[in-house]
Amino acid sequence: MATTSFTAPKLSSPTFQTLCRNFPLSLPIPKTLSSFSFHLSPFLSRFHLHHHHYHPPRFHPRRLFAVRAESENGAEPIRHYDFDLFTIGAGSGGVRASRFAANFGASVAVCELPFSTISSETTGGVGGTCGLRGCVPKKLMVYASKYSHEFDESNGFGWKYDTEPKHDWSTLMANKNAELQRLTGIYKNILNKAGVTLIEGRGKIVDPHTVDVDGKLYTARNILISVGGRPFIPDIPGREYAIDSDAALDLPSKPEKVAIVGGGYIALEFAGIFNGLTSEVHVFIRQKKVLRGFDEEIRDFIGEQMALRGIQFHTEESPQAIVKSADGSLSLKTNKGTIEGFSHIMFATGRRPNTKNLGLESVGVKINKNGAIEVDEYSRTTVPSIWAVGDVTDRINLTPVALMEGAALAKTLFQNEPTKPDYRAVPSAVFSQPPIGQVGLTEEQAIKEYGDIDVYTANFRPLKATLSGLPDRVFMKLIVCAKTNKVIGLHMCGEDSAEIAQGFAVAVKAGLTKADFDATVGIHPTSAEEFVTMRSPTRKIRQSSESQGNMGHEAKTAAGV
Amino acid sequence: MARKMLVDEEMNQTNQEEAHYDFDLFVIGAGSGGVRAARFSANYGAKVGICELPFHPISSEVIGGVGGTCVIRGCVPKKILVYGAAFGSELEDARNYGWELNEKLDFNWKKLLHKKTDEIIRLNGIYKRLLSNAGVKLFEGEGKIVGPNEVEVTQLDGTKLSYSAKHILIATGSRAHRPPIPGQELGITSDEALSLEDLPKHAVVLGGGYIAVEFASIWRGLGANVDLFFRKELPLRGFDDEMRAVVARNLERRGINLHPQTNLTELIKTDNGIKVTTDHGEELIADVVLFATGRLPNSKRLNLEAVGVELDNTGAVKVDEYSRTSIPSVWAVGDVTNRMNLTPVALMEGTCFAKTVFGKEPSKPDYSHVPCAVFSIPPLSVVGLSEEQAIEQANGDVLVFTSTFNPMKNTVSGRQEKTVMKLVVDAETDKVLGASMCGPDAPEIMQGIAVALQCGATKAQFDSTVGIHPSAAEEFVTMRSVSRRITCRGKPKTNL
Repeated sequence: MATTSFTAPKLSSPTFQTLCRNFPLSLPIPKTLSSFSFHLSPFLSRFHLHHHHYHPPRFHPRRLFAVRAESENGAEPIRHYDFDLFTIGAGSGGVRASRFAANFGASVAVCELPFSTISSETTGGVGGTCGLRGCVPKKLMVYASKYSHEFDESNGFGWKYDTEPKHDWSTLMANKNAELQRLTGIYKNILNKAGVTLIEGRGKIVDPHTVDVDGKLYTARNILISVGGRPFIPDIPGREYAIDSDAALDLPSKPEKVAIVGGGYIALEFAGIFNGLTSEVHVFIRQKKVLRGFDEEIRDFIGEQMALRGIQFHTEESPQAIVKSADGSLSLKTNKGTIEGFSHIMFATGRRPNTKNLGLESVGVKINKNGAIEVDEYSRTTVPSIWAVGDVTDRINLTPVALMEGAALAKTLFQNEPTKPDYRAVPSAVFSQPPIGQVGLTEEQAIKEYGDIDVYTANFRPLKATLSGLPDRVFMKLIVCAKTNKVIGLHMCGEDSAEIAQGFAVAVKAGLTKADFDATVGIHPTSAEEFVTMRSPTRKIRQSSESQGNMGHEAKTAAGV
Repeated sequence: MARKMLVDEEMNQTNQEEAHYDFDLFVIGAGSGGVRAARFSANYGAKVGICELPFHPISSEVIGGVGGTCVIRGCVPKKILVYGAAFGSELEDARNYGWELNEKLDFNWKKLLHKKTDEIIRLNGIYKRLLSNAGVKLFEGEGKIVGPNEVEVTQLDGTKLSYSAKHILIATGSRAHRPPIPGQELGITSDEALSLEDLPKHAVVLGGGYIAVEFASIWRGLGANVDLFFRKELPLRGFDDEMRAVVARNLERRGINLHPQTNLTELIKTDNGIKVTTDHGEELIADVVLFATGRLPNSKRLNLEAVGVELDNTGAVKVDEYSRTSIPSVWAVGDVTNRMNLTPVALMEGTCFAKTVFGKEPSKPDYSHVPCAVFSIPPLSVVGLSEEQAIEQANGDVLVFTSTFNPMKNTVSGRQEKTVMKLVVDAETDKVLGASMCGPDAPEIMQGIAVALQCGATKAQFDSTVGIHPSAAEEFVTMRSVSRRITCRGKPKTNL
């Protein structure tokens, strides 16, 4: 592969059209800035409520105009590049953008660090967080750990175990890692089949059109940064004894007693995993409740359900130090006291974008205070030829969102179809035990945004639990805009929530109404049918002008029929 | 419209006459449809009576129970047994996830049966409470129609009660029937199959419908040898052909012996069990033979002909779109009308009836886009049109999107079983006409898809929905390339 920037052009006499095809020419330019922001604001305000981590990307009107001027004037010199697109980072977003770009006819290279289950400045692997250190291994561990609950359930259905089922940690790790190896191979294959050049090594941006991979230089018309994020552990004394989620997914032996610091989805998922694999689990959260940003009732419900399965929650407790004792066990010192005897202390205290040592500052790519790359709605950074998708931009950090951003970018760049990712009604799941599925607004967000809403809830014991005798319950919730009857939020915690939420996400995204839900016939007997048989609202919240402000929302039970 | 006016007119008329009835509504049969109609009518202010036969898991002319087929002899006990049976393969799958289990797992059928019966007794009680809370008067006994406005209930002790009612609703459901072959009395129906003393060692199932497939899965999952006989080439006639083939393959892979295009001709009792002979001349010995060859409406002992309520040739009560029979004051919902024999459909019919008759809001049940599930292991669930139906009804081309994949759980468990999903789309309007899935959680996944289809969602709307990762369901919103395009003349061609 060529390593210098000015080798002979591939096309001996490129026509204007063929060149244009690969130019980001036609980003739609709003007629005026005000009309643009008018168009934008409902989406942004809604979105802002939707996801508390989200910071709306700043709009860069000048730069967009500049692009058009540049291309119209033909100001950019006709110049040959090694690649139309060079992607740094072969995770979900990077692979998607690269493949799609190649399918659209672009010449594409992607670089990625060598494979390892633990990420660092020098290790990564094709497949990225999702494939190697996130969704996939996590879900496999969830499958493994769910069995202990299933053994308990099966007792109620007549199954008996002469000896209590035992878990062999090393079998699980070996089978899980074999699967990850297979997946990274599949990802490589996908890239290969799409004609994308894969380069192993650490990419660094040298100038707006040049990437350095371990000393070799590659030029590209466009550069895509999709290097993702990494777990973050706060700087407290003894932090070297703590593990993060990367390590937690690949422990050499079962943790006997584990402390998990954090109340977000990663903390809850691992709490479920270790609990199911028969560790003693303690979760330390700063707030009163887990899962900040989720619907309040869901937060209460999941906390209860997890506690019923034996997880011990320590609320309003912040870690201050980790101390290793002579016997090798760890103690966690918090603002409330010290708990001893942990074999492992895991921090699930957030993730940070991998923006260090990428050469971003030197070429002028702007980074926000959290270290995330600032991008516009088309995923373009402050340098016109450099783009970024996925967790490194810290928009909504979910694999399918990175896929959407990657696909949109490929369309924008190489199919003459400027495409913005659409962040409305993005569904998501927490693979806690029981899991959570949701789409749209929480009740709190809905009240803020719409004022008058109707809330439908169901809290029931599923058929399986009546036989198993376990205290499992299911909670479901629909939030309906009182004025339009549209379903603006749907939440569920209970078995199969993640699978159930997907179909409803199509309905919520399509803007369907409560009446549409009601008109749908149930599938019997399922849990999901509950969502189409919620007849009377649990409460109607009205913020009528006469009732004064934040005195609490008027809640009343609706009449019977 | 005409019907609406007729209803109103008639009501005005009766009001003028000031006729006095013991009840505004008397319902015969307290299953899903009957209980729903009774409760909702009572909520509208009607005075409602309902009668039901005494409770027993196995139904007969004189035995039934509040809750009906769904609760006592159908959906609920069936699903409980499916849960129990599904653990068999679940536990096998646990080994590769590191769990060390005994080679042979112990399963206690009697315990499961006992708990199942406890649960349906509990539900029977809940249904009774639902009725009494709604103010519906419940009578135990066999109901008959004596006149257009008169019912007679024969109680357990033989005493007869007679009541007049402004409206009578027939919601007596249906019962499994046996084929007329020699030795048929040696076989059982689904009623008995849900209450067997012992788990069969070798079961023969006759039938290709969902009941046959479900019981085959249940018994196989609990370790029995199962032979499934059916008339067609594939089981589940009426479902999408491609999905039928998927179900057949899964059943076979899980160890069920399929005998397509085969019928049973005779059952003979022997010392070793029941000797089963097929029309292909095969013979085999089974300890249980299940007839899952269809169900017939319970319309015989209701005295319907005498009062002029018309039946069709299958014995189903004929009704119009509002569930009204040929006698204006007599109505019928649920399986006894043999429209679409599903609990949620009976509920819909019951609800519409109550609205029409007592809610002053004439309502027709809507039978389009009714989703349904087959709780085979793994299950099948569908909504909307099959590919064949779509082709038949299409004006333009039909696009078919399919996805066949190895569910993530199987990547470690090693189970060789693919999940298959399918969307059938109208090429011109982009509307999704049908969706189907065979694989774990299919019925749970399909419910939300059904809402989308009910409202005419387009493929573009599916595509614009972000996936939930990692789930099986996300495949439904990530089917990018069309598998085939079929022209309206029905000639398949690939879209390359």
